[in-house]
Amino acid sequence: MLHTKIIDIKDEKIELSKAEKFIASSRFGASVYFVGTVRDLNNNKKVIGMTYDSHDPIVIKSFEEIYQDSITRFKYENQAVFIEHVKGYINLGEISILIAVACKHRDQAYELSRFFIEEIKKRSPIWKKEHYQDGESEWLEGNPIQVK
Amino acid sequence: MKIKLELFGASRDFSNKDHLEFDIQNNLKIKDFRKEIINYLDENFKGNKMFKKIVENSSFCSEDNNIIKDDYKITKDQKIGIIPPIGGG
Repeated sequence: MLHTKIIDIKDEKIELSKAEKFIASSRFGASVYFVGTVRDLNNNKKVIGMTYDSHDPIVIKSFEEIYQDSITRFKYENQAVFIEHVKGYINLGEISILIAVACKHRDQAYELSRFFIEEIKKRSPIWKKEHYQDGESEWLEGNPIQVK
Repeated sequence: MKIKLELFGASRDFSNKDHLEFDIQNNLKIKDFRKEIINYLDENFKGNKMFKKIVENSSFCSEDNNIIKDDYKITKDQKIGIIPPIGGG
C-alpha cells in the first residue's frame, strides 16, 4: 500500500494527520515517521529557508520503483508507505519530506523507513536551494542521479 | 532539429526562463548534445566553470520521463530535461 505526492507549497502543506490516517491498520504493530525539516546552519552559514525543485513525474516514478524494490528486498507480509515531498520555498523548521511506514514489527518499520530516505536521496530528482541570512542563496551540490 | 532543454535545479541559473532552445543536427547523441550545451554556456557566460561542471555531471531525460543514456540518439524535435546532481529530503 503506497501513497506518493509532490506538495506544491503554494497550494498546500505536508500534514502528519494524513499520513497517520493512511497507514492506520490493526494489521500493523509498528509505525515510523521520518520528518525532514529545514535546518538553521549549513557549512557555517545561517540558513533562513529553502527552495525545493522537482521533476515531478520522475520523482513519483522513483518513489514507486523504490516501493517495488522494497517489496523484493525485504519481503514483508504487509507494509504501508506514505511519502510526500514539497516543492517551492519553505521556511526554517518547516517540513520538506514525510515518510511514514507501517509494518508488523518495529525492526521492519525502522529498516523500511531508512531504506526509503536513503534511496530517495540517490534516485529521486529533487534539488535544494538554500537561502542565507546575508541575502545570498545557493543550489546545494548533490550527487549524480542513480538509475537502475 | 529543435530541442527544448527543460531546466531543473542548479541548471535553472542558465536562463531566466525555464528552458533553453537549441537547433541541432539530426541523430545527435546525448554526449554530443552535452558538448553543445557547454559551448552555449561558454559563449553566453564567459566560460563559467561552475556551469560547465553542472552539465558534465548531469543526466538527461526524455519527454516520456525516462533517464536517457549518453548514446541515446535525438531523432526528432523534442523536449529534453537536464537532471543536475540531485539531493532531496
